Amino acid sequence: MAKVNRNLKIEKLKGGLSEKECVKIDEFFSKLNETINLSLLNSTLLNEHFIDGFEYYLEKGKSIDQICKILDIKNLGTFYSENQNQYYSLDNAAIVYPLGMKFGQMPMFRLAVELKEEVEPSLLQLALDFTIKRFPTFSAVIKNGFFWHYLETTNYIPLVEKEKDIPCKPISLLMRTYRSFRVLYYKNRISVEYFHTITDGLGGMAFLKALLKEYLILKGKRISDDGTIININDEVKEEETANEFKKAKGAAALSTFVDKRSLQLDGKVSPFNLTRILHLEMDSRELKKVASSYNGTVTAYITALEFLAARAAIKKNNGIFNIEIPVNMRKFNGSKTLRNYSMYFNASMNLSALPESRKELVEEIGKQIKEKGDEKTMNQMMMTTGKVITSLSFVPLFLKVCLMQVVYGYLGNSIIGCTLSNLGVIDLPKGMKETVNKVFFVFPPGRPNRVTTSLATFNDRVIFTIIKNCHNQTFENELYRLLKEDGLEIECEGSVEYES
Amino acid sequence: MNPKIIYPIPDRQSTLYRNLRSVTRIVFILAAFVCLLVNILVKGKPWSLIVIWSLFCAWRLFFSLRLVEFSIFAHTVKITLYIVVLLYLIDRFLAPGWGETVIPIVLFGDLLIMLVVFLMTYDRKERHVVSITMLGLINLAMIPYSLHSWPITNWIAFAFLCASSVLFIVLLIINRKQLIHELKVRFNINTK
Repeated sequence: MAKVNRNLKIEKLKGGLSEKECVKIDEFFSKLNETINLSLLNSTLLNEHFIDGFEYYLEKGKSIDQICKILDIKNLGTFYSENQNQYYSLDNAAIVYPLGMKFGQMPMFRLAVELKEEVEPSLLQLALDFTIKRFPTFSAVIKNGFFWHYLETTNYIPLVEKEKDIPCKPISLLMRTYRSFRVLYYKNRISVEYFHTITDGLGGMAFLKALLKEYLILKGKRISDDGTIININDEVKEEETANEFKKAKGAAALSTFVDKRSLQLDGKVSPFNLTRILHLEMDSRELKKVASSYNGTVTAYITALEFLAARAAIKKNNGIFNIEIPVNMRKFNGSKTLRNYSMYFNASMNLSALPESRKELVEEIGKQIKEKGDEKTMNQMMMTTGKVITSLSFVPLFLKVCLMQVVYGYLGNSIIGCTLSNLGVIDLPKGMKETVNKVFFVFPPGRPNRVTTSLATFNDRVIFTIIKNCHNQTFENELYRLLKEDGLEIECEGSVEYES
Repeated sequence: MNPKIIYPIPDRQSTLYRNLRSVTRIVFILAAFVCLLVNILVKGKPWSLIVIWSLFCAWRLFFSLRLVEFSIFAHTVKITLYIVVLLYLIDRFLAPGWGETVIPIVLFGDLLIMLVVFLMTYDRKERHVVSITMLGLINLAMIPYSLHSWPITNWIAFAFLCASSVLFIVLLIINRKQLIHELKVRFNINTK
């Protein structure tokens, strides 16, 4: 039936074309079907994506020769023709996520770009079909081993979807056909949501950039190749799929691994893990100037404001509040891995004893960032993680899951009150930069946390995102007030309040 | 603060399954506890064991599905195992005398169905190798059980178990490469 439908669509495509052009279309699709070796369903899907591509370009007045050149089958590589059963062990950071997962909870994050023109879904789909082959660990499903979960690559066709739901909803990992990420489009925005097990923010950004580049090429844009974006037709490099945690050096120190329980913002946690997203957009140079005036970096400044906002958002605020700050480990050794390679530390303050002046607070946070986020401490933490994992190697998976269900919820997230992840400056090559308006980074809090925040800078504009998991709005209102108080011009975008 | 809305407004989220799950959990735990208590107080046959196992099965089968790598195939194997244990408990504690015949038939029937599904989905067989191996091994383990009252052996059960075991072993031989690969991957200890 699917085959009949596909053939009907091809016949429809040929309507109004000359005999010579029809022959070329037939040749194209027979070559496509010779190249791929997929199940009937997947092969039909891939054919349909190409049919949609042909329709789009024909509408735009391109000739069949031009279309065949743009949609060159070589872009598929051998990915859809070979059986994909490569497997990857999870990296040391990823290992914890599937173990700690509970019904309705899944550590997800989203990276998105807002373009200057509306997204064309058929081209985005083709771009995804072409791009995915270069990212084998993204094109993987998570499976149960006897001792650990692992990733197994698959060449099932990933589908782009129109965004219509709450961002970062858990992906169903129930069936093999599902991957650990999803690609969404909404008006001018392309979003990719990842299950944290497959990658971190920087790996995710590398994928999004490659996807976007391919999409823009299909749109007919000229993109200069400055080597910053992964070429989708290159061979996969081993260093991109490496578990870099195994290269950690130094002594393990348990102290880096544990912390005191943190206060949490007031308000009931939503069952859907997300109640609201707010993007506060500012001029990055202005923000840097304000941060410098307090003798601190942007991260230290924003963290300091978050402590002040948390103090306002917690009635019984006599206690420690921890803000988790991820550290990109690639900056220490120039690793090219696309898998998780971040460690974390907590900036801690007693909310009832915050320094009187904002400058003192920023300086204190800056000091903590310098001390706790240095290479040596991060390496110690990696070594500790490695040792814990090694010691649990031969414990059966089902026992680990039982253990982590208790530990992860009560220890892992309870020592954090908020997270601030700074993705840094996102650079795009000439040709791409002009087509992108904004870059968003969204990752919802895990229970019992009520808030996470992120920073992403693009084109001298920084987007400070606040993701809430409770309806009490004191925290974000206070942050907004504090930023305004420092003279920053803010444009505010976001979502409605999500309610059950 | 009045943000410009840039995200789609989703449909109202349903909490029906979530609430049903929470209520069921409480009801199941309460029912199990009450049954155990009543059974201890009134003494007699340990029927509460069967109730508790049934509640556990219902919970695992309908409300606590595997979050990773769920497949109907593996789920069916799991159902079979739960049913076999339930049948054994009923046979052992409530109404003895039929389990030795019925349990092997259930296992044989299930293994046969699973083998058919396994062969029908041959191109995706790596998903099912471990599940079917588990079922086959339980089947094999049941042979000594069927012989435990030797020489008054339940020959019907014995024949069923032998037949299904032969089928299983043949299948293992045919798919040995696949099985070895799959086991190697499943038993990895995070070294790659």
